[in-house]
Amino acid sequence: MWLLWAVVAGHPGETAADHAALERMARGDHDALAELYDRHARLVFSLALRIVRDQGDAEDVAQEVFSQAWRQAARYESRRGNVIAWLLNLTRSRAIDRLRGRRSRPEAASDSLALEMPDLAPPIDERLALSGRAAEIRAAVDELSVLQRMAIELAFYEGLTHVEIAERLELPLGTVKTRIRQGLLKLKDRLAGVM
Amino acid sequence: MTDMDHDRLREAAGLYALGALAGAERDAFEAHLATCAECAADVRALGGVVTALPYAVPQVDPPYALRGRVLAAAGAPQSSSRSTVTQIPERTHVSVNVAWLAVAALLVVSVALGAYAVNLRQRVGGLEGQLRDAVNRLDLTEQRLAEATRAAERAQLRMAVLTSPDLKQVNLTGQPPAPRAAGRAFWSRSNGLLFAANELPPLPAGRTYQLWFLTPGAPVNAGLIKPDQNGRITAAFDTPPGTPDPTGVAVSIEPEGGVPAPTGAIYLAGLTQ
Repeated sequence: MWLLWAVVAGHPGETAADHAALERMARGDHDALAELYDRHARLVFSLALRIVRDQGDAEDVAQEVFSQAWRQAARYESRRGNVIAWLLNLTRSRAIDRLRGRRSRPEAASDSLALEMPDLAPPIDERLALSGRAAEIRAAVDELSVLQRMAIELAFYEGLTHVEIAERLELPLGTVKTRIRQGLLKLKDRLAGVM
Repeated sequence: MTDMDHDRLREAAGLYALGALAGAERDAFEAHLATCAECAADVRALGGVVTALPYAVPQVDPPYALRGRVLAAAGAPQSSSRSTVTQIPERTHVSVNVAWLAVAALLVVSVALGAYAVNLRQRVGGLEGQLRDAVNRLDLTEQRLAEATRAAERAQLRMAVLTSPDLKQVNLTGQPPAPRAAGRAFWSRSNGLLFAANELPPLPAGRTYQLWFLTPGAPVNAGLIKPDQNGRITAAFDTPPGTPDPTGVAVSIEPEGGVPAPTGAIYLAGLTQ
């Protein structure tokens, strides 16, 4: 996967503040971690929750992701990418690991059945910037055909390979392959102006 | 590296960007990626799309306590963890009689507590058993839910075909080797083919049923079909790129694995309506 993230270049400018925060984290500055958390926790937690579909597990995943960012802040520099993309990639792989673990051996009981009330006060400007972009992306996903969307979502949120997706949807392998490619190309065209 | 290899591998760029390639296929693609600027550009473009996907997820605020957990795990100093020491007032003088009374009362209370503890242990034992049962039932429910979700996903796909604006229907009738068999196909250029049949005879070993699009030219392979033990099958197929609008659909019996052009007897056939 690292090769992929090396290939996917980040947007300079946009992540300057994140890079600065990581540099301070590397020097042991806890305020910088708090800053990074305040900027991205919502996105990280939401992605984790969408994948694991359990509040307690999603919290654990988010905590693991920020802990890993804290531990690896010093090593991050060399990879030169988009910090949020890195955090989201960590989130996705940790959440999918949890999902797979749960599938292979059903857990006895969740210790976090009681839902905690969400914090309802994130910075408003961040929310606005994000919601504009998010609405565009959501609209683009909604425009995909059912098959394209389903195949992409099974790969992205459940971590299934194309072979597993074909089995799950009872479709020929070639169909899954072409529809995923068509779907991503369609999203790319649709989002050309957004990203 | 031939052009054909490149085309085949390029198909996989989206799968790779999504992390949907595994094992040998992923290794082969990564080896190709290192030498092919075109595929690297493809992965970069599609990878950008993949990084956008998390923004489409419904946004939920994490609980406030999580921030504290994250900072504490990194060893940040706790700002509001003042410990309070409660002062216990000292007793100065207690009369002997009162002391004895207190001992007697304690004795009574401890006997009662002992009995209560035994009772509690039994109840806890009972509750543990109930909890195990509940957890087992929950596991079963989760399994059923997962199965239902999968069935719903397949149903949604089939609905997409059936509700296509460009839908065409084919009624297939049993041919001489299978006079009782019948089938129905629904085809849409945009959403593919939905095929259902029943009363297909059991297959001999080493043989398979294969579905064909009948076109003005040669029949085009749509895929293999495996009926259940009652000879029933419902399955969805894609239209291979470049297939002309089909004039009909047919099922033939072929060697296992299928063949590029029909060779065996036709079991079901019908024309587009």
